[in-house]
Amino acid sequence: MFEIEMLFAFAFFALGLYGISSRDDFLRIFFSLEILINSIIMMLAISAYHLGLAQNLVLSYMIIVIATLEAGVGLLIFSASNKIANIKSADKFEESADDK
Amino acid sequence: MSIALLFIAFLFAVGSLNIRQTVPALISFISMMFVLGLFYISLDEKLLALFQIFVYTGGIMVLMLFGVTIIGDKFDDFTLRPVAIVSSVLIFVALSVIFFKHKDTLLQAPLDIDNGLFVSQYSDFIIIFGLIGVSLLYGTVKMVKVLKKRSRDV
Repeated sequence: MFEIEMLFAFAFFALGLYGISSRDDFLRIFFSLEILINSIIMMLAISAYHLGLAQNLVLSYMIIVIATLEAGVGLLIFSASNKIANIKSADKFEESADDK
Repeated sequence: MSIALLFIAFLFAVGSLNIRQTVPALISFISMMFVLGLFYISLDEKLLALFQIFVYTGGIMVLMLFGVTIIGDKFDDFTLRPVAIVSSVLIFVALSVIFFKHKDTLLQAPLDIDNGLFVSQYSDFIIIFGLIGVSLLYGTVKMVKVLKKRSRDV
């Protein structure tokens, strides 16, 4: 059981990495980042349950709070870039800078 | 039960990255996080599940809805990048190999973690929270300044 759950956590991690490296939209990059962070929380929770590492849960709470803040800051950057240069894709930052 | 929940969450995660409409993709993503909360309940970690569902899922949902209002109802087209697929599969294999190589050590070794930072006193976390809070405040103030300057220039 422990092994299968950890394998799922690794699969989530790989999926998040795939999303970050293959998608252009800000929102999809946010999704991928959150999937990555969720995989880390999963690893901590699974090891807390199966190995008895209770302090992992405290780390998980901290990661959840930080991840929510990170999403807020990320969306602030996205909305600012959209307001300044009207871009919706991270790959178009450079083109927009070249145009100016 | 927990494996089934993880499988459903994984399907929702794949859906959130591949659905072309923004709102169904967001719903798929939120469903993934909710199912992960149920998975934590199945692990008997109820407080973590409450954090996951009410703080994390709720907060992210509101923020992402704000993002959807900017992006519109459809994502841009994307091209499949073989390098991304290969690298993520390689990462998965590498993590699995490392885990299975050291699994016995994890399960058998006595863990001597009674003392030390973040273990003996949870108040140690205040340092990290303080640093993060100051960094976020600085970033926000800087961003507002840049925006004001750019709007004056335009």
